[in-house]
Amino acid sequence: MTEAQLAFFLGSGLRLATPIIFAGTGEMLSERAGVLNLSLDGMMLIAAFTAALTSWATGSPAIGLLVAIAVSLAVAYVQAVLSVTLQANQLVVGIGFNILALGATTFLYREIFGPLSRDTIPGFAQLNFPWLAAIPVIGPALTQQTALAYVGLLLVAVTWLTLNFTSFGLSVRAVGEDPRAADEAGINVIKVRYLAVLYAGALAGLGGAFMSVGDSNTFTEGMTRGAGYLAITAVIFGGWDPWRTLAACLLFGFATALQFLIPAMNLDIPVSLLLMLPYVLALLAIAGVAGRSRQPAALTLPFERAS
Amino acid sequence: MSRSHALRLASKEFGLTGKRGHVFPALSLQIGVPVAATAVALLIGLAIIASTGTPLEDAIAAFWDGMAGSAFNVGASINRAVSLTLVGLGFIFANRANLTNVGGEGQLAVGGMFATAMALHGAAALPLGLAFLVPLIVGAAAGAVWGGIAGVLKAGRGTNEVISTLLLTFVALPLVYWSVQSLHLLRKPLTDLSSLPESPEIPEATRLPLLFPSNQTSPLHIGLLVAIAALIIVAVVLQRGSFGLKLRAVGFNQIAARRAGIRSGSLIIIAMAVSGGLGGLAGAIMILGEQFYLTSEFSSGYGFDGLVVGLLSRGSAVGVVLGALLFGFLRSGSIDMEITAHVPAAVVLICQGLIVIIIAGSAIFVERMRRR
Repeated sequence: MTEAQLAFFLGSGLRLATPIIFAGTGEMLSERAGVLNLSLDGMMLIAAFTAALTSWATGSPAIGLLVAIAVSLAVAYVQAVLSVTLQANQLVVGIGFNILALGATTFLYREIFGPLSRDTIPGFAQLNFPWLAAIPVIGPALTQQTALAYVGLLLVAVTWLTLNFTSFGLSVRAVGEDPRAADEAGINVIKVRYLAVLYAGALAGLGGAFMSVGDSNTFTEGMTRGAGYLAITAVIFGGWDPWRTLAACLLFGFATALQFLIPAMNLDIPVSLLLMLPYVLALLAIAGVAGRSRQPAALTLPFERAS
Repeated sequence: MSRSHALRLASKEFGLTGKRGHVFPALSLQIGVPVAATAVALLIGLAIIASTGTPLEDAIAAFWDGMAGSAFNVGASINRAVSLTLVGLGFIFANRANLTNVGGEGQLAVGGMFATAMALHGAAALPLGLAFLVPLIVGAAAGAVWGGIAGVLKAGRGTNEVISTLLLTFVALPLVYWSVQSLHLLRKPLTDLSSLPESPEIPEATRLPLLFPSNQTSPLHIGLLVAIAALIIVAVVLQRGSFGLKLRAVGFNQIAARRAGIRSGSLIIIAMAVSGGLGGLAGAIMILGEQFYLTSEFSSGYGFDGLVVGLLSRGSAVGVVLGALLFGFLRSGSIDMEITAHVPAAVVLICQGLIVIIIAGSAIFVERMRRR
């Protein structure tokens, strides 16, 4: 492997990991509060489309990003009404949203851009500090990134601090483990869960917007290609812990990036094995074969005050 | 403790005596909510079509033509419904034990993959219809193994089956991709550079016989009979058999069920294997009945659609059939609508998503009515 290949591999791995770092970190917090958003993929897809559309219309990827977060928050709010207030089955709602998101974005894309549009969309520039680029291997890998990659890493730290060192974080953990006891201790279970789902929505919005205006500078139908499911998988493999979830996201990103490296190095490893690797690892983790992974006790269980 | 005594005890403990009070308001809601949700979603769909400027009558005419405009289209719609019915039946079977199998897509994918492998390698020369029966059974068995893995994990290690079946789906899809990419597996020999990554066509003998061979235009095959048989068996087992009662007991309370002499571990594994097996059967039927060769995306969301059908049926086998017919015909109609009237088929996805969300969101009201 040449130095340039290694730099490209590291850079593309980090780039592929960034959307799932955003979405996975938000989802981790929401699941710690007991709400599983299977709709993560749909939220990301809607955000990717909204960011692309707004950026294309206004010429500003930053406005695109903000609008995408706002729309994703709105979707997350509806999801919270359904899965927290109406106590709907969180899986059903999630799957419903994903179907709806695929349908709505595909329909609008075809109506607005036409089925075969190859328009490039204004996107975020890559950070190009000369002093950074001078570092061998790591420099060229890092200059392939936009500022959003660093925002993602920052948000992991913020989420970790929130979860472990604030009273809100304590409430989140209490609500996800034993909502009844949390309620008796005076915590507003419903409110905490709403906030957690909205947080997941905002971060999924960032992740989705990154895919269209931070990475590829285009929108394609169904472009998330299951990134939301991969983020949920990272949360599981990461054992519902912020740093381990980050590690899982990076691992999955690099595993995906390997598929570009393998042909370049003339190795004979089937790409599909790399594609299934994250899911096999997560499966082993929840089965207790590799590492340990215990889900929050009240995950997917709705809460209703005993009357 | 004797078996029958244990069961009587179990049924007493869970109030499963077969009599249910005040079913009528709940029952009418059970039918009314999906019907109303479908109507609302379709109206929204029509409004969306109208907003594109396409004349509604053109879109509806094209839609109708795609669903039921010819013997071919009716047959194709019913064939779609067959696969959805099988996955949906699998879902409600496991769900009777309070197990949520969301991995229909993966079980369907491995079922289709193994059915193709069997049809290409060995089954063609078998006599007496075994040429297609064996691949069918092998496909179902592969799905059963895929579902059974989740059952074993649940029974042995308490692993949440929702998560494991979802993960197993994302393991299965790349497996199918691999099988059609690799020349050592199922990929057809490369004849030129443009050879697509897909399997060769399966031999004539391994294809499912048509139901009306004299009528060349109808694609209806014996998969319909398989689905009807599966429907009757699942309905009878769930409604009348002691097995259905045991499943329900395990679903209500594992510890109490065990106390009543029910082996909950093996029951969970069997329930997941049967559920997965029905998914695998659906995949095998899709290959052997219609597609005739394997591609990496042959499952194309049928497993997820079937899951939705199962969810919407609220555990009723008849509900599964109705949901499968609805989704099967919607899918067929949307394809023609896109080709003839140039309305994106995605409108139907929007309607499907809305139906799912509305029904899920109103479940709490149905539940409250039932409790009253």
